[in-house]
Amino acid sequence: MTAIRTLAGLIVLCLAGGAAQAQRSAPPAINYDQHVDAGGTPPPAGTLENPLKGDKQAAEDGGKLFSSFNCDGCHGGGALGAEGPSLADGRWKYGGTDGEIYHSIFYGRPRGMPAWGGTLPPDAIWRLVSYLKSQEPKRDTLSTTSW
Amino acid sequence: MKSISGLSVALAAALSFGGGNAAKGQSQPSAPHDDGQWTMPGKDYASTRFSGLTQITAGNAKRLRPMWSFSTGVLGGHEGQPLVVGNTMYVVTPYPNVVYAFDLTKEGYPLRWKYRPDVNGAAIGIACCDVVNRGAFYANGRLFYNLLDGHTVALDAATGKEIWKTKVADLNRGETTPMAPLVVKDRVIVGTSGGEFGVRGWVKGLDVRTGNLVWTGYSTGPDAEVLAKPGTFKPYYEKGTDLAQNSWPGDTWKNGGAPVWGWMSYDAELDLIYYGTGNPAPWNTEQRPGENRWATSVMARRPQDGALRWAYQFTPADNWDFDSTQEMILTDLTVKGKPRKALVHFDKNGFVYTMDRATGELLLAEPYVQVNWARRIDLETGKPEVDSSKTTGASKGTVKDICPTLEGGKNQQPAAFSPITRLFYVSTSNMCMDYSVANVSYIAGTPYIGAATPYKAGPGGNLGAFIAYDAARGKKVWEIKEPYPVWSGALATGGGVVFYGTLDGWFKAADARSGKLLYKFKVGSGVIGNPISFKGPDGKQYIALYAGFGGDWGLLSGDVRSDDPDDIRPPASFMPDIARHTSQGGIVWVFGLGDSQ
Repeated sequence: MTAIRTLAGLIVLCLAGGAAQAQRSAPPAINYDQHVDAGGTPPPAGTLENPLKGDKQAAEDGGKLFSSFNCDGCHGGGALGAEGPSLADGRWKYGGTDGEIYHSIFYGRPRGMPAWGGTLPPDAIWRLVSYLKSQEPKRDTLSTTSW
Repeated sequence: MKSISGLSVALAAALSFGGGNAAKGQSQPSAPHDDGQWTMPGKDYASTRFSGLTQITAGNAKRLRPMWSFSTGVLGGHEGQPLVVGNTMYVVTPYPNVVYAFDLTKEGYPLRWKYRPDVNGAAIGIACCDVVNRGAFYANGRLFYNLLDGHTVALDAATGKEIWKTKVADLNRGETTPMAPLVVKDRVIVGTSGGEFGVRGWVKGLDVRTGNLVWTGYSTGPDAEVLAKPGTFKPYYEKGTDLAQNSWPGDTWKNGGAPVWGWMSYDAELDLIYYGTGNPAPWNTEQRPGENRWATSVMARRPQDGALRWAYQFTPADNWDFDSTQEMILTDLTVKGKPRKALVHFDKNGFVYTMDRATGELLLAEPYVQVNWARRIDLETGKPEVDSSKTTGASKGTVKDICPTLEGGKNQQPAAFSPITRLFYVSTSNMCMDYSVANVSYIAGTPYIGAATPYKAGPGGNLGAFIAYDAARGKKVWEIKEPYPVWSGALATGGGVVFYGTLDGWFKAADARSGKLLYKFKVGSGVIGNPISFKGPDGKQYIALYAGFGGDWGLLSGDVRSDDPDDIRPPASFMPDIARHTSQGGIVWVFGLGDSQ
């Protein structure tokens, strides 16, 4: 209980600016277990829209959450990759739409990505998604290295 | 029976040269007897990584050539070392922790058996620094090793059949188990990783026959749980009770790190095991004001019941992620004119410590790489004289140019000691760092770090060196500069040749006395494993080692993997061209002398 209370406190703290919108973006009522497998391609019925799409403040909040929830401990500062893969290269193993990234955070992924759905409210996850999308390069500039 | 006698020979060899040679001192010692096997990670309980085999010499090492190789099929960083017992070579891979047993009597070394454990992939996200495994331990016909996901396994060495499997660590609490176990009499001793996940570090003693848990000794907390028993626990410097609890504010010791993921040694005469503990958690020292015992320390415990005999802390109130999990090499040295039962430890913090292993008294502490976080170690108090301009914390912003880095003057890669030259052979890093930390929240099973620590080359520009060091006098004898941090272990041999591998993928042989390079071969991937030597069924001496880039460098080097199209990283600022010389790939190599005389 104390752990949950601490987490809730943390989220409030982190999102002091954006907390007012916290209620509005619950995900649609889909039984995810039946429709989405970690690693699979979600069927069209599972598509989610990011209610905070294009919101610069949301992306900024997400950057703070990325640190406060220790995401950077695995994915590196700036999401450039460490033990976990880079999330800033514009390439996505489980799909790079906002909804697909939401699923990856909500359900976790095999090989070590925790499922955050039971810990983070949807609004916080959408802010993380917004942050990661803001880190993507405009075009893929990383495919060649020469010396 | 054969295997039992093999082990006791190895044990006798391990324990015999210590006292005898050192006491006589001056005469030129010859190589101690060696049965040609390599049954435990450090070669012997003293962790010398010295093979007495003498066929490969400084004179003929130029005739070395690769005799055999085998792809492990695994791309993670290949730390650790093969074992050779009788006519079989055993190899443990990084996650998914496959074991291969090779028949050395047949051409091409075909497998006798292969063991594919059921290991939880979630462990990958709980391992801080690649999914490494540091190898197996052979005893009495059984092979013992740890799976990354927190299980210890005992296998029948002849068939690969699983005898027992015990869950020792909890992934949900950030615990993983990449270290190699130590087997002493009827105990299998294992520890947990997780200094970057806020674990409460421990070692556990299991029953060798059943795998049942017999004792747990924590690194932090009250005396009863640290197993610091009145009358038995006699540290040389610190006095008082609950030292491992009182040196932490509140209950921060409960997530205080001090993991155990390195190498273990054993002295049969004193009946003590020795191992080092890792960093206190989190990295931000301001969240845990105090000395944080027994993080960054050496612990001496009785194997039977885990009772703590003494402990000593290398880096009190660690500010720099200076784990002390590096090996403790047990040998008898003459220090300041007095013969001592010594323990020698090359710490991440850049100092090499020569201690009395019976009492925990510090005899000598000198820097073996560039060091600026402390001016010296006070031998009276055992404490470092810290340079306050290099102390870190969330309120201090970015602290510039700290040497060495958190990768250490040396890290996991174990050193070797030759009783012939009386020198230690050490793979080192030559780097400095900037350090900034933030306040972090503990969330079970997630990283508990909150730091940015960019690296740069130390003085001279070379990022590493392989050195020979005299720990009785505190002096470097020779060095081979390397362009990249040297991350392989060292091997010393009776023929006067030492061996190591480099991050850019070279296997190298050098003259143990002069450091002259005798032979090198490009092994296909960077080396972070440890070379061993063995005598084959044909009576010839061989050297075996893993190639397989990874470990910390797998995380930090940028563009060194090609198996994942969805994970593309820019090159690392401090070694932007490492990917020009290596990528991932696990290969076991065996080298021997060519036929012509």
